Amino acid sequence: MIWIYFKIAWRNLKKRQLYTAINILGLVTGISFALLISAFVWQEFQGNKNLKNANSQYILTSQWKNPNMGVEFATLAPLAERLKEEYPHLVANYYRWDGLTSIVSNGSVNFRESIQLGDESFLDMYGFNLLYGNANTAFNNPFSVVIKSEKATKFFGKTDVVGETLTIQNFEGDNHEFIITGVLAKTPENSVTQITKQNNGGFFITKNSATYFDRAHFQDWEAPIFACYVELQPGITAQQLADPIERLIQNHTSEVFQKNLTVVPQKLTDYYLNKDHASLKQMLYTLSFVGFFIVIMAMINFINIAISHSGSRIKEIGVRKVLGGNRKQLILQFLTESIILVSISTVLACLSYPFLSPWFEGLIGKELMNLSQFPIYFLFIPFLFILVLGLFVGLYPAFVLSSFKSIDALQGKLKTGTKAVYLRKSLLSFQYVTALIVLISAILVTQQLNSFFGKNLGYDKDSLITATIPRDWTQEGVKKMLTIRNEFSKLPSVENVSLSYEIPNGNNGFQMSIYKTGENPEQSYATQGLVSDDAYLETYQISLVAGRFLESEETNPDLVVINEKASDTYGFKNAEEAIGHQLNIIDDENPLTIIGVISDFHFESMQQPIKPQVFFNVNTNLHYRYLSFKLKAGNIKESLMAIQQKWQSLMPDSSFEYQFMDDTLATLYENELQFKKATYTASILSFIIGLLGIFGMVSLSINKRIKEVGIRKVLGASVASISYLFIKEFLVILVLSILIACPLAYLLMNQWLSNYAYRITIGLNPFLIGILLIGSITIILILFQTLKTAIANPIKSLKTE
Amino acid sequence: MLLRLNQASRIIKSGGKKVTLLDTINLDVKEGEFISLMGPSGSGKSTLLNCIGMLDNFTDGGYVFLEEPVHSMKERDRSKLYKEYIGFVFQAYHLIDELTVQENIETPLLYKNVKSSERKAMVADMLDRFNIVGKKDLFPAQLSGGQQQLVGIARALISKPKLILADEPTGNLNSKQGIEIMELFSELNKEGVTIIQATHSESNAAYGSQIINLLDGRIVTE
Repeated sequence: MIWIYFKIAWRNLKKRQLYTAINILGLVTGISFALLISAFVWQEFQGNKNLKNANSQYILTSQWKNPNMGVEFATLAPLAERLKEEYPHLVANYYRWDGLTSIVSNGSVNFRESIQLGDESFLDMYGFNLLYGNANTAFNNPFSVVIKSEKATKFFGKTDVVGETLTIQNFEGDNHEFIITGVLAKTPENSVTQITKQNNGGFFITKNSATYFDRAHFQDWEAPIFACYVELQPGITAQQLADPIERLIQNHTSEVFQKNLTVVPQKLTDYYLNKDHASLKQMLYTLSFVGFFIVIMAMINFINIAISHSGSRIKEIGVRKVLGGNRKQLILQFLTESIILVSISTVLACLSYPFLSPWFEGLIGKELMNLSQFPIYFLFIPFLFILVLGLFVGLYPAFVLSSFKSIDALQGKLKTGTKAVYLRKSLLSFQYVTALIVLISAILVTQQLNSFFGKNLGYDKDSLITATIPRDWTQEGVKKMLTIRNEFSKLPSVENVSLSYEIPNGNNGFQMSIYKTGENPEQSYATQGLVSDDAYLETYQISLVAGRFLESEETNPDLVVINEKASDTYGFKNAEEAIGHQLNIIDDENPLTIIGVISDFHFESMQQPIKPQVFFNVNTNLHYRYLSFKLKAGNIKESLMAIQQKWQSLMPDSSFEYQFMDDTLATLYENELQFKKATYTASILSFIIGLLGIFGMVSLSINKRIKEVGIRKVLGASVASISYLFIKEFLVILVLSILIACPLAYLLMNQWLSNYAYRITIGLNPFLIGILLIGSITIILILFQTLKTAIANPIKSLKTE
Repeated sequence: MLLRLNQASRIIKSGGKKVTLLDTINLDVKEGEFISLMGPSGSGKSTLLNCIGMLDNFTDGGYVFLEEPVHSMKERDRSKLYKEYIGFVFQAYHLIDELTVQENIETPLLYKNVKSSERKAMVADMLDRFNIVGKKDLFPAQLSGGQQQLVGIARALISKPKLILADEPTGNLNSKQGIEIMELFSELNKEGVTIIQATHSESNAAYGSQIINLLDGRIVTE
């Protein structure tokens, strides 16, 4: 019997190819997307779970009362060590590292790389495997380095590089050879080798080489810059650490830390999802939500189309009933059909996974696992999918179709109750609402993002590139770098060059609390400190509002320039008034003098309001990281080549690694750009599926009214009036959906926009565009199908009865 | 006695008005009879056939089929009864387009849960008897009207019914095909199958052993 159901179902599907294709297309779209999303979600939930003793691995995170004192993922290095020494029954092991960035070279090949300078427990504590080298002895000697396999390939073109040497520069500009003692096998995503997206360290050196780098000491109770991890003893919880941590902080740190710092151990497996204000988790939720909706839309399609095509099944249903088929058997038969359709779609979706995953990787900005990397038991998931989805989408149509009375069915009378009609209409408007909301959101997100990259940045990002330069933070170093800067600016293709510590990527060097000299230090304001040369303003084309900017030969370290925001915040009536006034940094007797005020520009992401800023002269504040080049209009490639050549002659020890300001901004707005892509994808998918649904509904409507159309034509109706007949039916649903979707979209986007200090106002246009687009496509789809019926000879349609 | 109708009526409501489709019908049908129902369109022939065939119900009066009171039966038992004893032949054949000739004939057996081997034998038997073995793998659309009706009759007969209800079986056929089908019916009747047919044609009605005339849902002469 089952076999016969299959056979009949197969023939039915083959016979109605359009219907089958629409259904499969919709389902494949939905299922593929759901598959990709669930793969991604599962993969991300595996983050840090592959570490040895993953359930006992914790990171010590810092919560600061004053957020300018440090970052969340770093804390005081000796804390972890003392925890293990004084509470061995709680803490089994610890690992701490200090993140460095320096120039690594193999002969003439050199790159700036992130380096982890940490404890020797690194390999053993997390069970990381070495492709080459001995994990037990890898860090026995100073000047040993373990590198990731991809870095081995980058520097040597192969992975078997144990025994080879790399030269690593320290911050005085000295070079020293390091022997490679191990090559790290590719690790699954984890927060030890890669704590943030930006910090993707590939080089691991232990603290026996620390003196060479002259960094903060691992015993320093005042330097909250170390990533610290602890492995707890079996059965110990994070709560049991709270008191010991508190006690250690009280006993060893200065008052400032005691007041401001709370150290919270977080389980690494949770930390992975919760870091960066749970942005990953949020993204997973959003994606799952979108995927869920898209699958629901695909299912709705299936249901709508299946019922709308019941007209073509009605005679068969009647005959089967007359021949003695009972309802159960009919339901089984229809369910078989839906399960076959879902199976085909699921198989197709699985097959398309490898082809779609690169596209999806672009969307999420991460690598996705291969199908083969999933555990074996995942094989059951498609089956589960088929069964659940097949039943879900099949049951309702099966019940409706099998409920027709045999005689009515035989006579071709389609009696669908008003209830079913309302249900289908509300299902359709659900699709409309979803598609509209997604579409309007996509348009608004695009508008908001365009404003990030547009004119109101406050500086000119076009033809602007930045390059990191080797550090030599001494008087001579700065002098030398300024000479190099001058050399670059002589290049004909370069308009301006500036030496600075900051570029507008949101990362500034230091925070200060500043108050007007002579006023109450309690009334101080958090201010960003920036260090630049005299050419910064011109290079970034920021305008000067009053006074003058920093000057090249200036030797007075106390002359500063502020931005308008600072001028307002400190309480000057206008920029002019601020000139010549003095400011004090808290705990510093030495006053600063304002020599100029510049206009505000967006130094951070537009999520953040512009903050008060104070510019210091690099001549006297000996810190720098970047050269910024403003290129002249013309051939960018040639300009870059020219700079590259000059670079090699001026700084042969470092490579010219540059970034366009556009790309820097793209990194700054990575989440937003991802979100934009996600909304685009969602709108395209929901559109495809929604339109398929409308297509199906229109064909039902025509099916049911074909005789009516024939009669109307005989009575002299025009093609236009007949088309209008059908359009009217859908316009009502569309208008209703618009009334629901617009306020919802408004609320949702308003919520999203409220994340940004600088946001577009929600205008009428996105709504109008969305409505027009969806409305016109609906009408085209209806016309496409009705015209055929409306033009056809009425004799034919009347004869079918 | 195969079946007895006692004051059987069917009255429906249409647009708030009562419409009498069948009016106090009294009818006895013995096994082996061949009855022709005649009457103009709307006289109630099809309704009467449908009600006898238990696809529809009388709203009033008694209906006894093989000593069983159909009027007081549950839907489930009724469908069991007609599955067992009644075969239908339609004017528009009502074959299932997606099934081959062989599968169409087999369908009633599937719904009666007959075993596969037995099914195959019965279908082969029927194909042979109607001389359509060569056409068993064709689909209905590939057959002429007469051949389709032949398959329709074969399908009605496959479950060995006692009664065949035929609603204008030759209505869609040309005269030659019509005669062939009528002759088949009278042959079947001779083999003992009871037949009730509805027809417009005097000549077709003449094949029957008894003619019943219907007008406005009432039997007018016997």
